[in-house]
Amino acid sequence: MNRRTFLAAAAGTTSAGLAGCFGLLETRTAGQPPVLSDRPDAVYHPTHVEGMQMEEMGQSGDFAAAVMYSYPHRFWTVSGSAVTKHSIRSDDAAHVMVAVWDPETGVVVPDAGVSIAVTKDEEVVSEEVIYPMLSQPMGFHYGANFALDGTANYTVEVDIGGLSGVETTGSFDGRFTESTSIDLDLSYSEAEKQNISYENTPDRAGDRTAVDAMTMMDMPLGIAPSPDELPGATVGTASAGDAQFVVQAVEADRFGGGTHVAVSPRTPHNGMLIPRLGLEMTVVRDGESLFDGELGAVLDPELGYHYAGGLDALKSGDEIELRVTIPPQVARHEGYETAFLSFEPMTLPVA
Amino acid sequence: MTPSESRGIDRREFVKAAVAIGGMSALSACLGRFGDGAESIPTGTDDPTSLPDRQHAWNGALPSDDHGNHVLASHHVLLYADYAGDGTPTADERETVESALQSLERAFEWSNEGLLFTVGYSPRYFDRFDESLPDSVDLPEPAALTSFEDPDLDTNDVVVHLASDSGAALLEAEEALKGHSDTANGVEMDAHLGDVLDLPDEFPGRRTGFVGGGLPAENSDVSGIPDEADVPEESPLYMGFKSGFDKNQATEEDVTISEGPFAGATTQHVSRIRLRLDDWYVEQDQDERVAEMFCPAHADEGTVEGVGENLGDDSGAGDCAETVREDARSAGRVGHAQKTARARRDGRPIILRRDFDSTDKGEAGLHFLAVQEGISDFVATKTSMAGEDLTDTPTIRQRVNNGIQEYTFVKRRGNFLLPPRTHRALPTPRPE
Ligand code: HEM
Repeated sequence: MNRRTFLAAAAGTTSAGLAGCFGLLETRTAGQPPVLSDRPDAVYHPTHVEGMQMEEMGQSGDFAAAVMYSYPHRFWTVSGSAVTKHSIRSDDAAHVMVAVWDPETGVVVPDAGVSIAVTKDEEVVSEEVIYPMLSQPMGFHYGANFALDGTANYTVEVDIGGLSGVETTGSFDGRFTESTSIDLDLSYSEAEKQNISYENTPDRAGDRTAVDAMTMMDMPLGIAPSPDELPGATVGTASAGDAQFVVQAVEADRFGGGTHVAVSPRTPHNGMLIPRLGLEMTVVRDGESLFDGELGAVLDPELGYHYAGGLDALKSGDEIELRVTIPPQVARHEGYETAFLSFEPMTLPVA
Repeated sequence: MTPSESRGIDRREFVKAAVAIGGMSALSACLGRFGDGAESIPTGTDDPTSLPDRQHAWNGALPSDDHGNHVLASHHVLLYADYAGDGTPTADERETVESALQSLERAFEWSNEGLLFTVGYSPRYFDRFDESLPDSVDLPEPAALTSFEDPDLDTNDVVVHLASDSGAALLEAEEALKGHSDTANGVEMDAHLGDVLDLPDEFPGRRTGFVGGGLPAENSDVSGIPDEADVPEESPLYMGFKSGFDKNQATEEDVTISEGPFAGATTQHVSRIRLRLDDWYVEQDQDERVAEMFCPAHADEGTVEGVGENLGDDSGAGDCAETVREDARSAGRVGHAQKTARARRDGRPIILRRDFDSTDKGEAGLHFLAVQEGISDFVATKTSMAGEDLTDTPTIRQRVNNGIQEYTFVKRRGNFLLPPRTHRALPTPRPE
């Protein structure tokens, strides 16, 4: 596949020309703008926006994968409700990202357990488990900062463990469980890296908005389907922790009898799916609870990644309460690290 | 390595380097530099019947620490060899192997100061016979054991494991087995394994390693260990903790096959694990390391001081095993020891670990060697360790927050049978 530079990735901004890139170089290496001191507890526009360099895409078994890189980033990992900042280390050369999706439907596969082994002339340069991450322009992907061994052609072996802790339904049933590995080329050069767009955004930094999604790429992004694209009837959209939770009532053979109540959490502004959170639901009718328990994670070809529980039927007048018990266990790029961490219970009446 | 090149390197580090390099020149450098000569290594016995019938009966020949834990010998070599002949081994070849091994037993005391060794046979070795192994032997071909690994599978016929506190003893034994030297520790060799087996000189056939306080810290200038990492000086292993407490090991009795033609045998699993300790040492603090190695409760309660010397003869992981699901939710991570402790039988682990660190290929690594009655005991333990059953909790992923699996990458696996001493020389599947 062709290698492309997504200069336009700094979406919505005029892409920086070469001279501009070099001019920015000092700003970048001398230090990105510091993290804002007064960040909202919500999604916000980061201090700077970077593009990225797409390297190669490949396919094996049930998975397609692409590798790309950008400047090293600071990012935050989330364990339980503890957030840990990962600063850029002096020897980090690049932020390496891997996207993993279903080659048949283009549905992005979260929770696939990804590690990469980077080699140069058969010599191991690095091997790391890479974190499931959310970024505003890309949504869900896997990534980490890497120290590389200078300008060279590297091979990135993407090792995919397979989906774990997620049920698959419909035509996805039984898929994505077999592990596989995909070798992708990454030709890294300092000079080429400096051509990747970079822009400081002091005018927008901290605003309650988000960088646009990189929708012009021919690689699928983890954008959750809009409510009217989802199968079934929309009960409503609740929100908490600055995330939106679209609740659908779906009846379909693949979910067995009754109603499959599907909850599809996504980011505000650009609707990126939010995986790996703990969610409980209570459905009350006339003061009596019809459902009270944890929702399981499900990957479905039409609903995408969502959380679900089954009951006989929803009726007008029922009340749905949703409670997030564990915040989404995904690492965050800047602009997402203060959002989706603490959630008030949500209630939705069934119309 | 000549002694002059090694000036400034401390003695033990030098010995470790000599073992890693191997061969006669390393051996003479080892002997020359320290006068760590033949005289100082205790010689063995003329009476093979004085030695335990179980090849894996090492504990009685190992020293114990202050808490009664057996202390494994510090230097190790694994030799993966193939039967050189066609068809099945002859009586003469069996005689050669047995006599080479008995020569070693005459040359070196059966102890950590002399030499401890085992000879193991793979499923592939037994395939050459018409008969199959009896049901009392549980020895499948090696296989990937988790969804997130893709190891090379070792299919050599034979593996010889040599262990000693003396690097010189190891190298002498190896050279003598190969037939590069007619004596070992000043004792005449009656035969050499090299006459019957193709023995390796290089990785992956030849693997080396070390374990014991100080050795990992001294050998931490390898890929996989970041410059910023401070491997504790007293740690016996790269990951910074003591391992192999007496109560957290199976007994030799428990791992012994009790019936059939191989009564007295055990099975051996050896995997090579690449260690990538950047995030382990740089992103995590000591409490987080304790939580991921042992269990979150040990971190909360400050149970583990330093490398864990204070734990005595029990890591306390047994108590944490029950709370693993709660910990996944409340602490957001689960520990290695607490997960593996779910595979106990009658309150004890079912495998006996004799693992050691390595710098093979210039990489920080660990040769995970364990003996157990059947390979299914290893698989059960590994499955508990993998914790894939815990990934339905959002905090726990296959390799993140899931014990030490973020930092350890399995590259090779092999399964072997360690017959009792009476059948250790090129056995048939049904020895009499
Ligand atoms: C880099 C690799 C590894 C390191 C550094 C390591 C280290 C440790 C440590 C520090 C403990 C706690 C102290 C003790 O009980 O000895 C432990 C326990 C244990 N480990 Fe490992 N380990 C590693 C890999 C493995 C593997 C591959 C297995 C096999 C499946 C395993 C099986 C066990 C068992 C059975 C226990 C005892 C659990 C119990 O108390 O019931 N370990 N390990």
